[in-house]
Amino acid sequence: MNVEAPKRDLTGPFLNRLAGFWRPLRNLSAARSHVNGTRSLLTAAEFQEELAILGLSGRRFEPEDYSDALADYLDISIAVHVIPDSWYPELTRLLAFSGRLGELRYSEQLNMAAIFVPGSLPPLVLTLTILHELGHLAAGDLLIEFDEQPDEDDQHAEEAKFATLPLKKGTKLARGNPFAEESLREREANLRASYALFAGCLGDDSPHAYDMYDVL
Amino acid sequence: MSAAQHQALVLGSVSFVAFVFFLCFLLPSKRTKFSVFAACNLLFVALVFGAVALVDLSGGRAEIMVAVMMELPVVLIVAWVCLALAGGLPDLPGNLPAEPVARRPWLRAVLGSAPLILLLSVGLATAVGLVWPSPALRVYAPAPPQFVVLKALIMAPEWFYSGLAAVVFVMAGRASGLKRRFYFKNLAFSVGMGCIALIAVESTVFAGLRVWLSGGNRGAILEILNTVEACLAITCILAFAAGLSLRYTPAVATTLLHRLQTGWLRAQEQFESLEWQAVSTVAADRLTHASDAVVEACRIKGLSESETQRALATIRLVAVMRDPSSETQHITPDAARELYELQQEILCDDVLASKISWAAGWRSRAHEPQTVKSAPLHDALKAALDLVDNDGESEGVRTPPLWYYIVAVSAADAKMIDPAPVSMQLRDGAEHRAAVEAYDDARRVLRMLDDQRPRMEDRPG
Repeated sequence: MNVEAPKRDLTGPFLNRLAGFWRPLRNLSAARSHVNGTRSLLTAAEFQEELAILGLSGRRFEPEDYSDALADYLDISIAVHVIPDSWYPELTRLLAFSGRLGELRYSEQLNMAAIFVPGSLPPLVLTLTILHELGHLAAGDLLIEFDEQPDEDDQHAEEAKFATLPLKKGTKLARGNPFAEESLREREANLRASYALFAGCLGDDSPHAYDMYDVL
Repeated sequence: MSAAQHQALVLGSVSFVAFVFFLCFLLPSKRTKFSVFAACNLLFVALVFGAVALVDLSGGRAEIMVAVMMELPVVLIVAWVCLALAGGLPDLPGNLPAEPVARRPWLRAVLGSAPLILLLSVGLATAVGLVWPSPALRVYAPAPPQFVVLKALIMAPEWFYSGLAAVVFVMAGRASGLKRRFYFKNLAFSVGMGCIALIAVESTVFAGLRVWLSGGNRGAILEILNTVEACLAITCILAFAAGLSLRYTPAVATTLLHRLQTGWLRAQEQFESLEWQAVSTVAADRLTHASDAVVEACRIKGLSESETQRALATIRLVAVMRDPSSETQHITPDAARELYELQQEILCDDVLASKISWAAGWRSRAHEPQTVKSAPLHDALKAALDLVDNDGESEGVRTPPLWYYIVAVSAADAKMIDPAPVSMQLRDGAEHRAAVEAYDDARRVLRMLDDQRPRMEDRPG
């Protein structure tokens, strides 16, 4: 994934400090938020909550429906480009050599995200790759304030592994903030992709969807 | 024994019998957090009524304390239900919220506040009762205006939260495409919570009448209201019992789903993506000729698109498995066999196998979605393993399809596999001869096209 971040305006350290005071207050009002610096990986049940917010819980849906619902919720436009190999054979080779299967670009200024995937990917891998990149958007991985990396020396190893980062202004679907460690962000995007695939296939046969209608 | 003590003894006995019944029959079959809580609540009610029956606590502040304690089980039930609908305490990951609540963060916050507000109101009502004692346990006795304040402090939030919970249950039950059993289950709980809301209203009105109503028909009106309350209470209990007894077992268990996510899906994705990388990089050149010949041979024999795709997937797999480079080291016969076995496990479950599918392309409705069975990889894995692990036995492939023969001939010709065991395996039958002929024709066609291409490229303009 790549982010085209706009140049920061020079609001100065005063506003940053103000934002620092505001954040805990904002978190107080958020039900079940995990924005206190650490959290665990997304569970299937938590993903079902995200689906409920998108209006997809208990329904069978295609990745296109998930993409459209996510775009509506985040109020951005999401374009998925499946590039045929014959158009840009070099793209496929470059991606394959680099070990990547797709590319996500995000522009805050244009309020849009674009996902590029080679058309030669096997259908299941193509679907999961697109869902993986959509997972980054849902998690808010592209809204990370990278200048506020936590000081890992001050934390326990286990805690640092699951440390999260604060976000810039923007909408995300996930309740928790993105992980500080990139490998964890990738792992969670994989989890989101697999949860989405199964939830879309099973609809109201999903045990997690059924839990939302049987709370007692 | 006073009338109040006698009434408490009856109610306490009923609660205790209900507790024993719950413990023996309902809890063993469905042990949820709510059912355990409900059992504890019944025991608590039985103990409170038992205490009232044994000790004459009428008069003064003790009466207030007992009255509040008797309200507490219902207050706790309402708080618990609201919490369950909200998905647990805020900032503590718990159960899933109800579907309509998950979509509305404000509703979750309101429902999540129920325990705090309800217990605060009970506390406040207790304080009011202790400062201005009233005959709370003597049901038909005239009461001072402070008694209405005490009742309203408990009943107003109870009415609000139980009413809200009833509405949320209705919203959950009315979700489109929901199974009928969930509809009735949520409807039953909605009726139960609605009854509690009505009891709260009735109880406040009853307290008001005790303060302000006088005259001959006072007793009759209060008795009617008492009967209404009893009917509502019975309806509430029956509705909850009906809701709890309606059970649904999902077609796919959580443990199975988890196993599929961590086992099959991860294995298939890794396998296919690594294969794609290998084909796109190191094995690409080696494969081009063989795969072109396979596709052309399939076309010559008039094979279907799906059969051609299977043949293509098989020749790719064989090429990658036989490639000595380090980039393809993860695509081994062992990995292929493991994935094939995981797929077979899914295919044993007809319901699951038919449900798990994925689109053949992005926003493409032209092709049917692929399933574990219909995807080319499943048959390709078996075919490739038969060709690569050519130990002479090809269990399961009694009479291989024509595309398999074409791949075998092509792979042998491209020196990907040893031709001798393959010939033995295929026993030089008619299908094999047809595949050899088609393959030879395909090679001839491809050579002609190759010859024509430079001439066309040399042509000026």
